[in-house]
Parts: sequence; structure tokens; C-alpha cells
Amino acid sequence: MPPVILAVNNLCKRYGELVAVDRVSFSVHRQEIFGILGPNGAGKTSTLEMIETLRPIDTGMVMLDGLDVQKHPRQVQQRIGVQLQAASFFEKLNLTELLLLFGELYGRPVDPLKLLGEVDLQDRAKAQVDQLSGGQQQRFSVAAALVNDPLLVFLDEPTTGLDPQARRHLWGVIRRIRSEGKTVVLTTHYMEEAEELCDRVAIMDRGRIVADAPPQKLIGDLLASGFKQARVERLASLEDVFLHLTGHALQED
Amino acid sequence: MRLRWKLTVASLKMFTRQKEAIIWTMLLPLFMVFLFGFVSFEGLEPIRIGVAGAKDEQAGRLVGRLGEVRTVQVTRGEESSELAQLKAGKRHLVLVLPEEFDPAGGSELRVLVNDGKPEETQLGLVILRKVLDDATFEMHSAPERIPMTIQSVASRRSSYIDFLLPGVLSLAIMQSGIFGVAFGFVSLRKRGVLRRLSVTPMRPQDFIAAQVTMRLMVLLAQIVLLVGVGIVFFDLQFMGRLLDLFAMGLLGGAVFLAIGFFLAGIAKTEDQVVPLANVVSLPMMLLSGVFFSRSNLPEPVRLVTEFFPLTYLADGMRSIVLEGSTLPTLWLQLAGLGLWSIVSIWLAVKVFRWE
Repeated sequence: MPPVILAVNNLCKRYGELVAVDRVSFSVHRQEIFGILGPNGAGKTSTLEMIETLRPIDTGMVMLDGLDVQKHPRQVQQRIGVQLQAASFFEKLNLTELLLLFGELYGRPVDPLKLLGEVDLQDRAKAQVDQLSGGQQQRFSVAAALVNDPLLVFLDEPTTGLDPQARRHLWGVIRRIRSEGKTVVLTTHYMEEAEELCDRVAIMDRGRIVADAPPQKLIGDLLASGFKQARVERLASLEDVFLHLTGHALQED
Repeated sequence: MRLRWKLTVASLKMFTRQKEAIIWTMLLPLFMVFLFGFVSFEGLEPIRIGVAGAKDEQAGRLVGRLGEVRTVQVTRGEESSELAQLKAGKRHLVLVLPEEFDPAGGSELRVLVNDGKPEETQLGLVILRKVLDDATFEMHSAPERIPMTIQSVASRRSSYIDFLLPGVLSLAIMQSGIFGVAFGFVSLRKRGVLRRLSVTPMRPQDFIAAQVTMRLMVLLAQIVLLVGVGIVFFDLQFMGRLLDLFAMGLLGGAVFLAIGFFLAGIAKTEDQVVPLANVVSLPMMLLSGVFFSRSNLPEPVRLVTEFFPLTYLADGMRSIVLEGSTLPTLWLQLAGLGLWSIVSIWLAVKVFRWE
């Protein structure tokens, strides 16, 4: 098994009375796509933000590439790429200019066209973010998370609000990132996304991790416990119909 | 340093590509200057005298003499209609001649005057008296008059635009400092841009420094633009040195940028920024002597406005532009702005919020 690149140990976060993150522990191995699943309000984002240095850690410890996140936030920031939920970019700069500027924030040169190519946006290099479709915006914010050639990429609900084609397109981008040797940690509340994309998932509920294993193993365990789906298994889903009718591999979403 | 410079360049790019920003910081002040620059608030109106009554030769000569006076406009008409014009404010004086008008004496004139225009009326009476006296002198052998030689001397012509332009310039500096920063920063925070930046190794002070540098560069451009337009289009008599104007402007800019950051700190949303910024800027805009001299204000109000930062800035800039003052003589304005900048920067730091 590849070495552990992220180790989260007994992480806690409270907002007043509410315990948002309750003794969360997990570890992520190099070149893994690791998913954190859970309903809204389960504590996924809070967990991610503590790891990303965005939010102070109440108690617990996060080691990232051998660095204590609380003690060395700057070095950690150099090693991670982050895509935030509902964050946006400067207006009035085009994609190329934005990527160059973000490169400067890390003090490193950037090849904007190559980065845009990685997320299939090379032909929108001169566009501004508000001229992109939802799926393109999400892919761009993934590109912006890659400017510093990070070891670890954090994607917070990257496909929320996207149509099935745009979502599949982004899955392809995420797999490509992993194939380049990076590790990906993402949150989602789409189960089929986790099943399709993630090597391993942690399921969170009310601030706690209730399961942590590869998707197929979780499904196998459930079936082994005698679980039977209420409905008869169909060989195709409505999503399959939709994709079949509207085209599978659309580049422009 | 490189990062700060790159951030400044990027901010400038964003600024210049934003139509609203250009309109507010550059075009609106220009518009004000053009609007008020071509309107003359100064100088007396021409004195309009209506003449009614006798229409004989003597009366005609009198009207002719009156017409020769450059500031007088004479009209002739019936007493009733001229009176109506006087009541409508279209005459300052109405002179009613008797049936038989004889400048040599013996006839009595009636003059109806406009109560609402005391200055013009007074001047009109003096002119009228003089013209009548001239006519009388001509009839009698008059005593010799004291001769006068008239020599014209070119003087500094101080017009309203000279007063207005430095004021509008100060106003523009205040508005773009307070509104530009407060609104821009809250919007960056609200849209999550600042949050996105905070997961990078960039330090907030680099970003703030770049924002401030960009704003101060815009401020210098405002000074050059307005002074340039004043000189080219309005024959502005720029007596001072541009460098002194820059220095005064930058100090004022520091105060208003800090106020902008302070408001950005206490406002949660863009919707809250505008009323807050108006509360701060409107009293200064109206009372700091931007458009009109503060000497007309009631004394207690005038005393308070003495301490407004915009008053210091407008007075300082006006003194540089109109009187050619240099910085050492403007120590009061410099000290005032210096004190304000300390207070406002302290306040801004105190309430500053990145997220």
C-alpha cells in the first residue's frame, strides 16, 4: 500500500453548543481518491476546512506530508490545492490572467494553457469566469487548485449542481489528476459519484465517521448482512437514459 | 515585493476594466466640473430698467444714455406693463417719467424698485442718479468735474471654476476612497474571493498593500486628469506645484481609504455599505466647502466643519491650486489630515475582518 500522506487524528470542532466535527480520524494514502460522504450538515466541510488551514482546529491533530497543519500552515498551503464550495474568483480578469496571478501567490511560474488543458478549458483561455457555464466554472476552479502542483487536492462538493454530463466530465478530470501522481480528497453527497470515482470513502453523520472502506466493500458488507433492496434491481437507471439520449461524451457542458 | 507588485498590476487591470469604477472616479467629477464650470454663479445680473411715461425727445435721450452703460438693459413700455414685469422679477427698476420731462429741473420722477434684488436695485439707482445728473449738468453750466485717468491692470481673474475644481478633486478623492474600498472589499469577501485567497500562502497584508497602492495610483490619475481639464478647458490658473498637490492628495487619500476599510470591516453585506458610506460622506460633501464657501454657514456649523477631513483636504488643495501655497505653509491642513489618518487607520485595523 502507498504511504500515508494525510493523517487526521481525533479532530473536533464545536460551534457553541453544536459539535460539528466529533473525534474524526482517518488517513489517506498517496494517489488515492478519497471521498467523504454524508448528508448536508454532517461536518464534511468543517473537517475539510480544518485540514486546509481555513478554520482553527479545536482539538485533535492533522499531519499532512509529515507536517503538523497547526504548526506549519504556510508549508501546508504550499503543498495543497483547494477548491472551495461557493468561492469565486476576481472579476474582470480572464482565465489565463487568473492562473498567472494565483501562481504568483505561490511564488511559482505557471503555464496557464497547460493547466487549462488539464481541465479541457484551453479554448476558453481569454474568457472571464462569469462567462463560463457551471461545469466549466467548476473545472476552472480545479485548474486554479493545481497552479502550485500540489501533492494533495481538496475538492469540496465539486459536482453539486452540475448536470450528468458535466459531472462525468469532471470525474474524468479528477481521474486524470490522480493519474499524474496526486492525491485527491473530495466531499460529495452523490452516492453514485462516490461509487464510481472513489477508491475509498468515509461516511460521516452528525460529525462522526460511521464507516471507512472502499465502496465495493461497504456494499458487500451490507449485502452479507442480509440486506435486500426494496425495489427489484433494474439494468438501467434514469440517468443512463438521460445520458443515452443527450450524448455521453459531450465536451461542452 | 514582487508579489505585491503583481497584485497591484492585477488590481489596476481589474479597476480599469470596470466601467462603473471609471465612471465614478473619473467621469463623474469631470461631469461636475463641466456642469458647474459653465454655470456662472458670480457677478451681478445685468440691471434691467424699464422706462415708462413721457416719450418725447428728452426722454429718448435719457434712455439712450442709460443704454450706453454697459451693465444696464433698458426697455420702454407702458407703466402698467412695466410694473407687471417688475412684479414678475423681470425688471430691477421701473422709471416713470412725468408727461413733460425736463432734465433742467422742475419735473419729478418716480422710481419703482424690486425688493427682491437689493444689490441690483441699489446699483441701478446709483447709475440712474448719475445719468440724470449728467443730463442736468448739460443743461446748466456745470462746475468743472474732477478728471480721472483710467488705466487697466491685468489681474488674477479668480472665477468659480478656480474655486470649484480643487473642491471637486478633493470630493473625488474622498468618494473613490470610501466607496471604492468599502464596496469593493465587502464584495470580495461576500463572494468568497478572499476566502479562496486565504488557502494560498499569500499574506493578507500583501493584498491590502496592493489594494492601497492601486487606489493611490488612481488618485494621482484623478489629480492629473482634473487639473489638466481645468487648465485646457477652463483656463484654470494653477499657481502651485503638482508635487505639493500629489502629497496633499495622498495624505487625504490615506484617510479616506482607511475610512473605506473601516466601513468594510463593520458592514456585513454590500447593501449595508452604501448607507454607511453615505452617512459618512454626505455631510462632508455638503458642508466641507466643496461647492460653496463655508463662510456662509451658520457659525456653530462652520466651526464643526472646520475639523472634517474633507475640509482640510479641500482647503489645502484649493490653497495650492489658487494661491500657490507650498506644503510648509499648509501645516494646519497637513496636521489635520495626519491626525485623521492615524485615527482612521487605527479604527480600520481594529474592525478589520478578512472573512
